[in-house]
Amino acid sequence: MEDHITIKLNKAIHQKARLGIMSILMASQGAEFNYLKDRLKLTDGNLSSHLSLLEKEKYIKIKKKFVKKMPKTLCQMTEKGRQAFEEYLENLEKIIRSTS
Amino acid sequence: MNEEKRQEALENIELIKELVIQTKKHVGNYGGRWICFIWGIFCLIGVAGQRLFIPEGALIGAWWMILAVIAGLATYLTTKKHLKSQPERTQRNYIRYLLQFWIPLILLGYTLAIFVALLPSLSNHYISPVILLVVSTGYLMIGFMFYKGILYMGIIGYITSIISAIYFLEYSDIILGALFGVGLIITGIVINEQWKTT
Repeated sequence: MEDHITIKLNKAIHQKARLGIMSILMASQGAEFNYLKDRLKLTDGNLSSHLSLLEKEKYIKIKKKFVKKMPKTLCQMTEKGRQAFEEYLENLEKIIRSTS
Repeated sequence: MNEEKRQEALENIELIKELVIQTKKHVGNYGGRWICFIWGIFCLIGVAGQRLFIPEGALIGAWWMILAVIAGLATYLTTKKHLKSQPERTQRNYIRYLLQFWIPLILLGYTLAIFVALLPSLSNHYISPVILLVVSTGYLMIGFMFYKGILYMGIIGYITSIISAIYFLEYSDIILGALFGVGLIITGIVINEQWKTT
């Protein structure tokens, strides 16, 4: 049996806020900045920094547009992000299985 | 150390599960159950008002039109409110939802009612059973193709329209309104329960 201490969890995802962002984006085709902010109860600055990190990893893509002169930021998961998230889930399962 | 990591993994899976379920609930939920309630009440009030307060003639059309405007406005406000809970709050999604489902349904109902009312050889008494029969045919067709629950509604509609035409012709408009009204309200309750338990 694999010792789960050796299982490496993806650091970009393994953080509560970023895990929340990835989970929401996994379940939807895209989510707006304000939706993520409301659901995850984060501040603008905090959410922005987490989104930037995920974008840097190319796990998400961020589109900005104006609707009725109001800025809208839409976040979507990329294929790379989807794969990373699935891998992260598999690793979580491995950790749980290895001690049960 | 191992137990701590396992506990954290369990917590994270729980968080993911909760967020995924909640997000899936929000996606595409434009308040369909509330729209069912609104139009169910519309049917019941419409028929009750027509029977109790409105004399025969052109006023009946105006009565239904006023009610439709109120119900339409309530539908608009309900869907608008639910648009805010969408992950992607695009006007495009909202308009697509209205165009694909509710507007065709409501227009179909009105077109059918006007068409049947204008048929010269059809006695006024038979208007309600005919509408019920046509709508039931639609339910049967959709039921055969997609969903068994709707098939039962079609069968009930058929039986009710025949019984009301033969035995309760005088009350056929009340039967039609009650059937649609109560049917829509029950649909709303069923959707509500399903939404709660998913």
